[in-house]
Amino acid sequence: MKVFINKITLLPILLFAILYDASSQDPMAVLNKMDEIMFSPKDRQGKIVIILTDKTGKEKVREAEMFEKGPERKLYRYTKPESQAGMATLTLPGSVMWVYLPALGNPKKVSILSKDQSFNNTDFSYEDMAQTPYAERYTPEFINSEGDAHILSMVPKSGKSNYSRVIVTINKTYGYPITMEYFNQLGKKFKEASYKYERIGKYWNASEVVMKDLEKDHSTKILLTDVRFDQGIPDDLFRVENLKPLKTGQ
Amino acid sequence: MMYFRAFFNRSLHKVHMEKMFGIILKVRWMIILLVSAVTVFLAIQIPGIRINSDVVSSLPDDDPHAVLFRKIGSTYGANNTGMVILETDNVFTAELIEHVRLVTDTLKEIEGISAVTSLTNIMYINESENGMEVGPLVDEYDLPDTPEELALLRERVYSNKNVRGIIVSEDATSTIIVFSLFDDTNIHSLASTVKAKMESLNLPEKIYYAGSPMMVSSISRLIASDLTRLLPIAFLLITIVLFLGFRSLRGVVVPLLTAILSIIWVIGIMSLTGSDMSMVSNNIPIVLLAVATAYTIHVLNRIDQEKGDMNQAIITAMSYVFVPVILAALTTMTGFFSFILGSYLTMIRDFGIFTALGTFIALLLSIFFVPALISATGWKNRDKENERWEAGKTFFYDYFQNPLQNLLYNHPKAILVTWILITVVNTGGIILIKRSVDVKEYFRKGDPTRLAEEIMTSKFGGTKPVFVLFRGDVQNPDFLKTMLRAEEHMAKNPGVAGTQSVADLILDINEAFGQGRAIPDDRALIEQIWFLLEGNENLQRLVSDDLDEAIIISRFTSSDMKAKREFEDYMNIFISENSTADCSIEITGMPFIEARMDRSLINGQLASLAIAVIVVIAIVSAVLRSFISGLIAAIPVISTIIILFGIMGYAAVPLNIATVLVASIAMGIGIDYSIHVITHFNSSLKEGASVNKALEDTIGISGKAIVINVISVSAGFMVLLFSEMVPLEHFGLLITLSMIGSGLSAMTLLPVILILAHRNEKINTQQNS
Repeated sequence: MKVFINKITLLPILLFAILYDASSQDPMAVLNKMDEIMFSPKDRQGKIVIILTDKTGKEKVREAEMFEKGPERKLYRYTKPESQAGMATLTLPGSVMWVYLPALGNPKKVSILSKDQSFNNTDFSYEDMAQTPYAERYTPEFINSEGDAHILSMVPKSGKSNYSRVIVTINKTYGYPITMEYFNQLGKKFKEASYKYERIGKYWNASEVVMKDLEKDHSTKILLTDVRFDQGIPDDLFRVENLKPLKTGQ
Repeated sequence: MMYFRAFFNRSLHKVHMEKMFGIILKVRWMIILLVSAVTVFLAIQIPGIRINSDVVSSLPDDDPHAVLFRKIGSTYGANNTGMVILETDNVFTAELIEHVRLVTDTLKEIEGISAVTSLTNIMYINESENGMEVGPLVDEYDLPDTPEELALLRERVYSNKNVRGIIVSEDATSTIIVFSLFDDTNIHSLASTVKAKMESLNLPEKIYYAGSPMMVSSISRLIASDLTRLLPIAFLLITIVLFLGFRSLRGVVVPLLTAILSIIWVIGIMSLTGSDMSMVSNNIPIVLLAVATAYTIHVLNRIDQEKGDMNQAIITAMSYVFVPVILAALTTMTGFFSFILGSYLTMIRDFGIFTALGTFIALLLSIFFVPALISATGWKNRDKENERWEAGKTFFYDYFQNPLQNLLYNHPKAILVTWILITVVNTGGIILIKRSVDVKEYFRKGDPTRLAEEIMTSKFGGTKPVFVLFRGDVQNPDFLKTMLRAEEHMAKNPGVAGTQSVADLILDINEAFGQGRAIPDDRALIEQIWFLLEGNENLQRLVSDDLDEAIIISRFTSSDMKAKREFEDYMNIFISENSTADCSIEITGMPFIEARMDRSLINGQLASLAIAVIVVIAIVSAVLRSFISGLIAAIPVISTIIILFGIMGYAAVPLNIATVLVASIAMGIGIDYSIHVITHFNSSLKEGASVNKALEDTIGISGKAIVINVISVSAGFMVLLFSEMVPLEHFGLLITLSMIGSGLSAMTLLPVILILAHRNEKINTQQNS
């Protein structure tokens, strides 16, 4: 009898727990948490290694110093390969990019007319590299929970996206993305990204991101090392003049 | 050795032949079982045969232009590009732009397509007051729809070398959407899918399809259509002819059975050996249907002449007909084999090899299988069939043999002079013969594929690619400047429509950077500009991954062979003056390959015909043991071939990859009729008959077989008049004419020569006595 009463008592508690868990899986809440992980830092700097791998397995490697502030300011100063050492790119709000080629002497403004275009000739598009929170750009829908992951389907709010939807797998415990699958306007998956996150101080850092173009069988791996957050990078750094190599002492 | 001597010693020959066929009849069931087993085995292989209509894959491995063309095609994907053409009144309308976007998006979703380029997504680089603009020419999410936006688009299109005349025609009435395929894409199913999807869009514009995958797929479709349509028709026609000739079921079934078995064996062997069915070899079944029945016709004809016991009749008949049938087959095979040495395209060589093989198989079946089958089944003509045969003989005698004999005997010189006159007149036509190697001309006028090629030629510079390959350090300024000079040199030639290379991309970016439209002198700047180009899909079509090779892509518009040869000489001068150890230059392209094909048509025709004539005369002379007899046997056929070439010249039937085969085939098959006439005539004379009697016997026995043979072979080839492909239509017409001509000359010109020759002998004999 006692055992029976205990089981009856446990049942509603169990049901409540299940229902409570279900109601806490609000897709927007999950997405907001992911945005917090990805876009919380005020600024970020470090070393970036970009490895481009074609369908034959051949790799091209670029290395750069990276400075990022806010959603749309990025400064890359390339250090490798040798032929491109000294080159720099500056991305500013309004889809504007400035390019500095040492051999040219002066930076040149490059208007990127379409967000679908490849970012610095990688498998990431400008849309992929945008620092705007996903919650502002996509409408999420909960699909499933598997193990320690939530799976959401995100539909772009803008009619001008190259994607019809993005399926994101998010770590339940910490909230960072594990994978993103990109579907074209005809519903076919054509790109997928995978993320590795590590804790640095109070932030999570994507130490490795791999974007694979399934149609072209080409991938881009971005490795971030020596990452430091909230260094108080001044806005002045993101000026066209700073594309040229820094003089000694600066 | 014994049998070889027996072959040439008549009395020995008869004894040994009878012995051999006696053995064959004893093991008849084993022969039948063996043939059945081989047939089943090879029939199972047939579904594995592939249709390959790609002319490029048939180019020879020892031709430098062909080798380079294939290498560039596979390395840079140049042969994996198809086009959808939209034809309209004005490209620069909102509606058309929307349709282009629709076509682009539809093509992108097709499995097997790796990239699509059109007006709505082609990238362009432009210097503007705001700096450099990089992006698609058209914003696909905000298509131009106001007059101002459309006018701006028009201006941008016609100021951009990579778009004007390439994606949009100069007269703004057509635009093309270019798609590339993955290497392992099945082009046939892809081509069908592309067409089906385009049709489902129900666009008001006229739609055409061009490019290598679409062309190859169209030709494959024609090959399949020809095979499924024409073979049954040929089968039916030959059945009717055989029935009219033999008036018996056996006379129809047995020859057809031999032909069908030969076809099954050859196609099965082709499949086993991995040989593809090409636009030339797809005629092997029809050729064999026509040729293979001939040997069985002669065997059955001779068996029917012999009375008494069936087996003895077979043995006696085979001993008579063994040599002429082998001779006929050998000469026919010679005609087919002659292509192996003379032809440029491997598809023609393969056609020669396998048709010769099919002929050999038909021969073996006729002299071993047919006697075995007749003996095993005891299949005689029934009395009614014999009555019909006798009635047929009477009909043949009354309406053909007798009138012909009278004509030959009473007017031999008139007949001779007539033939000489016709031959001389047609000799004049030979110099008028034109040559045609343009793939477009394989299709009938009005065929959508041909129309598409014509639009591409008139509005977009054609589809005949020209590639100039540069080897060296691609990022070296001097290397790029040499490429640019080559493009400028090419552009001066009136046959060239546009050029594209990585040098142009460097120029665009350098100009957009405000440095002027020039190749930078500083290598470091080129390497840094390269950063902006990396990953660009266009770059992969123009430069190797290792940056040690780059190509110029161009198109040649003119179909004129002289213009192509002049262009080749023009570029060879440039190459010899500019090619260095650091920057080696080579050129190839369809104009060069077509120039070689054109030259090979003449050389191949002369070579194969010479081989056929020499070998055939040699074989016939050896067997008849007289060079004079060999020459005399060849005269009717040679005359027929001259007349044939004359007709080609006067009727503007061009020499192409199909009609180049006609003369040698005509030689090989047509000589058979002369062989039968001479053999029979000589044989009758040797048995003591007068010239009159010998002629009567020849026309009465061999003549009937020749007539049936000519009609059945012609019926088979005439079916090709209904082929979907123009060269094959010409091929069918010319072969038919040559068969009729060879038969006619064997029955008129040759007997007249024999009559006149023996009349002179008779006069000399009378004078001497």
